[in-house]
Amino acid sequence: MTNTKISSIEAIMLILTIFVSHTIVSLPQNWISNQKSAIILNLIYVGIIAMLLVYVIYRLFKNFSSLDIVDISEYLGGKTLKNIIGGIFIGYFTISASILLREFCESLRVIFFPMTDVIYIIIPFVIAMFINNSVSFGSNVKTISIVLPLVLFSIVFLFFANFENFSFERMFPILGKGFFNTFILGLGNITAFGGISCIYFLPPFLKEPKEFKKICLTSIIIGLLYFIFCVSTILFMFSFFTEADEKLPLYFAARHIEFGVFFQRYESLFMLIWILEISCYLMVANRFSMNVFQKMTNLKNTKYLAFIFPIIIFGISLIPKNYAIIRFFEAQIYSYLILFIVFILSIGILIFANLKKKKERELNAS
Amino acid sequence: MNFKNILSSLFTYTPKETYNFILLEKSNSKTSINHSEENILNTKKIFPTVSINLEYVKSKYNSMINSDIVIREFIINVRGKQYSAFLLYIDGMINTDIMNRFVIEPLMLRNKSNLFDGNHDRIISEAVANNITVRKVKKFNLPEYIMNCLMPQNTVKQYSEFEKIFNDVNSGNCALFIDTLDVAFDIEVKGFEKRGVEKPQNEIVVKGAHEAFVENIRTNTSLLRRSVHNENLIMENIEIGKITKTNCALCYIKNLANSDLVGEIRYRLNNLQIDSMLSGGQLEQLIVDSNFLSMPQIISTERPDKCTSYLLDGRIVILINGVPYGLIIPAILTDFLSSPDDKNMNTSFSNFIKFIRILAAGITLLLPGIYVAICSFHQELLPTDLLYSIIVSRENVPFPVILEILLLEISFELIREAGLRVPSPIGPTISIVGALVLGQAAVSAGIVSPILIIVVAITGIASFAVPDYSYSFHLRLYRFIFIFLGYCCGFLGIGLGLFVYISLLCNTNSFGIPYTSGISPFVYTPGHSYFLKPIWKRDLRSNYLNPKKERRQEKIAMKWKYPFSKEDDIK
Amino acid sequence: MRLKILACVIIFVILTVAFSTSYTTVNIDNIAVVVAMGIDLNTDGTLKVCFQFTNPSSISENGSSEQSSSIIKTVTSTSINSAINVMNSNIGKELSLSHCKLVVFFEDMAKKGITNEIYTLINNAQIRPSTNIVISKCPAEYYISNSEPLLENLISKYYELFLNSSQYSGYTCNATIGDFFDKMLCNSCTPYAILGGINFQLPNNTNDAFTTIEANSISNSSNLGGKTSSENIGLAVFNKGSMVGELNAIETLSFMCITDQINGFLITMPDPYNEENYIDVYLTPTRKTKFDVSFVNGSPFIKLDCNFKGQIYSMTSESNYLKPEVLEDVSNACNNYMKYIITEFLYKSAKEFNADIVGIGTHSLKSFLTFDEYADYNWLENYKNSFFDVNIDVNVKSASLLSNS
Repeated sequence: MTNTKISSIEAIMLILTIFVSHTIVSLPQNWISNQKSAIILNLIYVGIIAMLLVYVIYRLFKNFSSLDIVDISEYLGGKTLKNIIGGIFIGYFTISASILLREFCESLRVIFFPMTDVIYIIIPFVIAMFINNSVSFGSNVKTISIVLPLVLFSIVFLFFANFENFSFERMFPILGKGFFNTFILGLGNITAFGGISCIYFLPPFLKEPKEFKKICLTSIIIGLLYFIFCVSTILFMFSFFTEADEKLPLYFAARHIEFGVFFQRYESLFMLIWILEISCYLMVANRFSMNVFQKMTNLKNTKYLAFIFPIIIFGISLIPKNYAIIRFFEAQIYSYLILFIVFILSIGILIFANLKKKKERELNAS
Repeated sequence: MNFKNILSSLFTYTPKETYNFILLEKSNSKTSINHSEENILNTKKIFPTVSINLEYVKSKYNSMINSDIVIREFIINVRGKQYSAFLLYIDGMINTDIMNRFVIEPLMLRNKSNLFDGNHDRIISEAVANNITVRKVKKFNLPEYIMNCLMPQNTVKQYSEFEKIFNDVNSGNCALFIDTLDVAFDIEVKGFEKRGVEKPQNEIVVKGAHEAFVENIRTNTSLLRRSVHNENLIMENIEIGKITKTNCALCYIKNLANSDLVGEIRYRLNNLQIDSMLSGGQLEQLIVDSNFLSMPQIISTERPDKCTSYLLDGRIVILINGVPYGLIIPAILTDFLSSPDDKNMNTSFSNFIKFIRILAAGITLLLPGIYVAICSFHQELLPTDLLYSIIVSRENVPFPVILEILLLEISFELIREAGLRVPSPIGPTISIVGALVLGQAAVSAGIVSPILIIVVAITGIASFAVPDYSYSFHLRLYRFIFIFLGYCCGFLGIGLGLFVYISLLCNTNSFGIPYTSGISPFVYTPGHSYFLKPIWKRDLRSNYLNPKKERRQEKIAMKWKYPFSKEDDIK
Repeated sequence: MRLKILACVIIFVILTVAFSTSYTTVNIDNIAVVVAMGIDLNTDGTLKVCFQFTNPSSISENGSSEQSSSIIKTVTSTSINSAINVMNSNIGKELSLSHCKLVVFFEDMAKKGITNEIYTLINNAQIRPSTNIVISKCPAEYYISNSEPLLENLISKYYELFLNSSQYSGYTCNATIGDFFDKMLCNSCTPYAILGGINFQLPNNTNDAFTTIEANSISNSSNLGGKTSSENIGLAVFNKGSMVGELNAIETLSFMCITDQINGFLITMPDPYNEENYIDVYLTPTRKTKFDVSFVNGSPFIKLDCNFKGQIYSMTSESNYLKPEVLEDVSNACNNYMKYIITEFLYKSAKEFNADIVGIGTHSLKSFLTFDEYADYNWLENYKNSFFDVNIDVNVKSASLLSNS
């Protein structure tokens, strides 16, 4: 896998896949429930902070060219720390993929397959994961660069197709639940940029490592624009998202698209596109988990890992007993998980590794 | 299989032997092999020594590897004196009869002109003054003598520069080089096949040439030579098959095609341990990277103009003796949706047709599956009136949708196959009878619904709109998988199937080149895009082939329009 | 390779079996497409749910034109879902509500409150948010059974098209269940529905000096003659989930003008030069209505600006619309007329109904900094104290084909 090199645009698409996936399920709804009408302001604020953080990450990575976070943790704390960090990231990828998969399949069950058990809806995704894991990483990235523009286009289309149903006054009151809620508590929404976890693993795969800064910043900007489109669609169309909880809010928005009498009811086509997107996300989660596991165990043959991680994801996705547990996990626990792993732990490791490197340089110089 | 073997196979890791050829990107090193081959002496004037001319011609035409270049050395008798000489010509381009009777015979055989035993110089006039005799003597002029006396041929020219000689040799003439002369004779002896060649049977175009390859390899190579008048067009001869020893020509333009690619193909062709090679399809399957997914990775064409166009891109063509098809290597996905007519037409027409082809490919692959998925799980997509029409039309049909569609699709394939086998006088009749009458009868009998007939018919027509036969067959085969997926789980199955299909497509390589090059809308591939740019903007060759020459035309190709402007001023 | 093919076959078998239950219920051969649904409330608190299906033989070529285009079935149950369940077993096919165009509630039921029923319908994955909601002045079953298409063959086509007139007459509105649900939960507006009924008798309406007989018409008592059929004129006004009032044709027109849902409409008003005559002017909005909400002593003060351009459709033997002053006078008369009807409507909605169906509350959000401030103000309670200042600007451009008689 480490022999594959990807271009800048493909790297941006890889990062955006992670951003986009969770917005298809209940993430926008969580935002609107928390921030009400101030969500757009909050997203812009959080986006700027994410850009600054990503710039800091880029600067911290500068001293470790072509090394990812696992390699850096090995440099910092030896094999022990490498295994711990590797294990944490594997856990993070598999859990987030499992929860997303389960939530999406629950929604699919309600919409399309009312009589089918959710386990049978998850199985086709698992089979697709088996097949995707057996092809090369370069092919995975090429697949994403074909599929993701379609997904981005679908959201933009959703926004403009529903334009006549928008009521822009719903942007007010401008501060939503208040300044504290919007700018202090709302800082928690930075977990929307959990796709930054991908950035920690990108450096060894880049064809042009000099473009790393451009990749990071461009993906955050596009991600932010995407989030704004997403959230605006729901905020301006519906007032009840502040009161009622709806599965797949974007699907609900897609149901309103009508052009005359003939062009109606095309939300199933959106679901088709979003199935492709969820598959992309699962593919990325699998790939990075396999990559980390291979680094931890120095495996030469990763053929059988192609089967192990999808089975693990399948197993974890069946753990929650009902939808309420999934929503609770996603709304309460998952955001803290991202905050800790992606922002606090990883940046902490980078900072300490940089300090260690600086000390070594000083020692060498003296 | 004993216990030890079982244990070792379970717990020991033996790396799988995978053959992985990747076409590397161009290096910037000036010492690379590509550059060293450029250092050939570009001499213009013919040498007076025949041996030097011979060496020069041999290196220029790569006669060691070029199998159709013939150099005939012999001794000329001119008025009792003997001179070394050689003839240069291309086999397959000349008329052998003319060559033998009117070129070689007068030069080699003993005749009155050759037998002369006197003073070669001729006294024109003589004057005596003061006991001194002044004679005007005309020196013997060998070139003039040969031109006037030894060449009973209608068109003979004398050139002192190699370039002109080579141009005419490439067109089918022969060149005569004689020792002590710094000129060469260009003799008209053209005799390649003209219009014995037939029209293409399966690749019909509106505006392009109407010639097709034939079984004879030399005729086929001459068809390519006639389009590419360049000494850098190499036709390497390779024998394949221990028993049949089939001649194959590996054709490429030396200063365009990537050397690594040529080397790789040559390596694969030379390392086939088979008894016989009788068809292009057989060779295709033996040399591709992977046959998984049955995706075609080589273009098989009966058109020389298509081969020429791809040769000029930097690709390689394989011609096989006894097979009226050329194999173009490598080929990516977008090549199978292109037709030779595209570059002959106006860009906007071509792009419109290319868009129709993409639709056709999508319809062939997905329409039946989507229809099954909609009828099974997603009826809300249909407009209410159409839904009622379908429900009413299906009222009397005893089969479920999946069985109905499989019945019709397989019947359609049967009719298609029968149409190929039936003798030509009644072939069209069978197609019409099969398609119309059977379909109508089936609807009247209530076996199938009329809407399904339309779906299957549109799918069939769309499959015919795909230019490449292999690719359309691949789509026809894989639509059955999408039908099953649509029946199983509706759009979930179609979506996941499509995702896996795209993934496997991206994983496919055609001789080291990713199969989906140039498809992603946001990944720029210089020199390549599926939709054509206007002809004056097609100045670069596709970069995924890593050709030796990136530019195929100047940035301003239309010098007549912009004779004085700089490149930057033109937008 | 053989292993791969075997694996594919096994997967296919597993998926087919797993999804077969869903396939059996939702595939096209097993569904009964419901076109409209009517819900009445019985005296004992149970629901009487009526389902309308399209008659397949009316679609097929062999079908007779004499046959009814729809089949109606009614079932009594405790809830909508149990009614669907009973109907599934009764007709032997699975009901499909994804093409349901209309949901009809009886007026009496609407007055008691339909919040739970709306939640149930929205919670159903098949019911579309664009399904129209009608409050019928007669029992819903009676309304549906009298919904006979006059000029179409299929009842579904009729339901798709019959509300198109709202865009050019303004006497009814394209109220959808999605919109209703949104406004029901909104704390800055209230929902509304189409008012429907059956035309039993000729009207007993009187018209005042300013409005005409057709302006005062309302469902169930319009002046439409001919065969008894359903009609949809007016709006039902709700406060949260309970119906609080009705709007007649002209009030509905005012509502449509203010909410920018109309492309053009005809008004019939007294001739400024001869009060015994009426003139017809076709008005087209030139821009969206501008709202300005401010607060005076805690009460909302709402300013509205509407712009229209007009064309005079009627013509008499004494008309002369080539004179600018005549057009000016007609414009002023239109201004007064529109101002009157819109102001009347707004005060009725505020004082009589206390229901902000126009959604002026969303325009007032700008005046608040936080959501809590807005919630504390409680717009819906304070709406009844509102004052309105309506500014209308009508510019009558010309007459139609004739300008001068």
